[in-house]
Amino acid sequence: MSASVAGRADARLARLLVAPALVIVFGIALVPIAATVWESLHQRDLRLPWLGTPFIGFGNFGEALADPRFGEAVLHTLVFAAFSVPLELTLGLALALVMHHVVRGRGVARVATLLPWAIPTVVAALVWRFIFETGGGGSGVEWLTSPVAAWAPIIIADVWKTTPFVAVLLLAGLQAIDRELYDAARMDGAGPARQLVTITLPLLAPALVVAAAFRALDALRLFDLPYVMTGGGPGTATEPLSLYAFIALMQRLRVGYGSALSISVFVLTLLVALVSVRVLTRVSPGDHA
Amino acid sequence: MIRQQLARFAALHPETRVDLRITPDAADQRHQLYVQWLNARAAEPDVLQLDIIWTAEFAAAGWLEPLEVLPDADDFFEAAVEANRWRGTLYAVPWFVDTGLIYWRTDLFEGPPSTLDQLRRAALDAMGTGRVRDGLVWQGARYEGLVTVFLEHLVAFGGAILDEHGSVIVDRPPAVRALTFMRNSIGVDGIVPAAALTWQEEQTRFAFQNGQAAFMRNWPYAWALLQDAEQSTVSGRVGVAPFPPADGGVASAALGGAQLAINRSTQEPELARALVEYLTAPEQMLERARVAGQLPARRSLYATPALANALSMPLADVVRALEVTVPRPVTPVYSELSELLQVHLHRALSGQEEPAAALNDAAAEIRALLARAGLEEGPTP
Repeated sequence: MSASVAGRADARLARLLVAPALVIVFGIALVPIAATVWESLHQRDLRLPWLGTPFIGFGNFGEALADPRFGEAVLHTLVFAAFSVPLELTLGLALALVMHHVVRGRGVARVATLLPWAIPTVVAALVWRFIFETGGGGSGVEWLTSPVAAWAPIIIADVWKTTPFVAVLLLAGLQAIDRELYDAARMDGAGPARQLVTITLPLLAPALVVAAAFRALDALRLFDLPYVMTGGGPGTATEPLSLYAFIALMQRLRVGYGSALSISVFVLTLLVALVSVRVLTRVSPGDHA
Repeated sequence: MIRQQLARFAALHPETRVDLRITPDAADQRHQLYVQWLNARAAEPDVLQLDIIWTAEFAAAGWLEPLEVLPDADDFFEAAVEANRWRGTLYAVPWFVDTGLIYWRTDLFEGPPSTLDQLRRAALDAMGTGRVRDGLVWQGARYEGLVTVFLEHLVAFGGAILDEHGSVIVDRPPAVRALTFMRNSIGVDGIVPAAALTWQEEQTRFAFQNGQAAFMRNWPYAWALLQDAEQSTVSGRVGVAPFPPADGGVASAALGGAQLAINRSTQEPELARALVEYLTAPEQMLERARVAGQLPARRSLYATPALANALSMPLADVVRALEVTVPRPVTPVYSELSELLQVHLHRALSGQEEPAAALNDAAAEIRALLARAGLEEGPTP
């Protein structure tokens, strides 16, 4: 009897202690999302105040589906993620393996690797834009005015900037692998390639999935690189979904339609987040042991 | 300078104090700030400096105080006054005007081109002699500047974006010819560098002041900088002219500039009106011209020696451009209309769409925009 009373008191205390955190989460995450959902169900156009703000259900989403620029923006976002994330994982893994085996100057090597990650994206983007602008890189190619070639500077800038982040994540994973496994493998006559495939990669899988998820979620929200480097052009050839949402909201001042586009960015990233959590639980050895 | 003018105004009206509120330089950000203030019915600022393409939007939203007929309306450039009317009522007073200009090199040519084809051939000749790398530079990035460049080509070929009833005619043959000419300037003739598709005003000025280009399309601000021998290799060797006509069109110059309007929610409409009248009076405009090099919106000033002394530009040539200025479409949805047009112009110029298809798409999207805004009837009743 007394134990259960104490338990109930504890529970009450626990709820009380958690309450501030819940209020903050609610206020910072849920309220703005709910407000955006609410706006997305209304027509609200700050440039056309005489139209009022009628409730139009999923009208904004219907307009988005019929808007070719929306479909292209989704495609651009997915294609960007499909190119940049695998490149970052591959290069990041290579970099992590090198850092892992560096014996002398370990600290210097890690700091040097992390430098690009420490530079603000907008600053890096301006530098990359300068490099590729006007017959960029001494190549004589007009990178930024060709609809396909304009993606190259954006992907290169993203890979340059975020590979260090992937490398550091994977380095942590590498350091958690038991060294004795390699000793045993060596004794059984396994070469470096065999060791990589049979020991390193399987045991690194959780870290790889985490890195891939982080990068994919970031890539799907791509905004600042094209905003600074190409403005989404030529035409709208490098316009990702977040940039189109920004233009609808901040330039056209179409609060309703822009909110609907923002929700679609949110839904897209949420889907990928759910998939990666799924994959992560499957590859994590601890959960099934 | 504006501070001194405001202080003098305050001295004339001892019961008031006039504060100056600094707003962002970037037009989009300034516009956004205005919309926040006006949409919230803030009483301040009482007087607003508007870009010429905003008046119709703010007037249609009911955010601006209608102005009585200007006593001396005839004195202002007609295109500037028209751009400040919405459904027949005046909502802002032109303050200073900006005009598109063709800058040309007096050491390469005898005189300015009188037709667009002359310009094209002169540019090719100059490139042929090896004295310049580029024949012509203009603002080709996907932003508002591209629309002003297109507008000048459009008028040169006898086209328009909207007709006098507000119907969309930017898909008609003259427009297709104008856009095709622009595209050929890059791809066929090669007089305009492909890099110009990422250029705004300053990049074109750098190219021209380095002696790299024979012609440049730009605004009056570039004049003083080009004459500065410290940074410019072409000082003393530059002339200006309006954009030359092609077959079926006329010479033109895109109209820009600043207007003064009164916030409808102001608590002090009488004082606000007095301030607008004071700042747009000839004396204050002359001072602006002298100190900031900005062109007065009053025609009569151009006949006075005072302005010729105040401005370093060749006044007669500037007036030739001012006489043929064309406003951009006067509609409350101009910004969005422009954004739709920019996308298709840029696609056509970068080879992603054919000019006719690009303009068809742009026209269809603009018609849908006008329909959504309830403006198909046209901007004038």
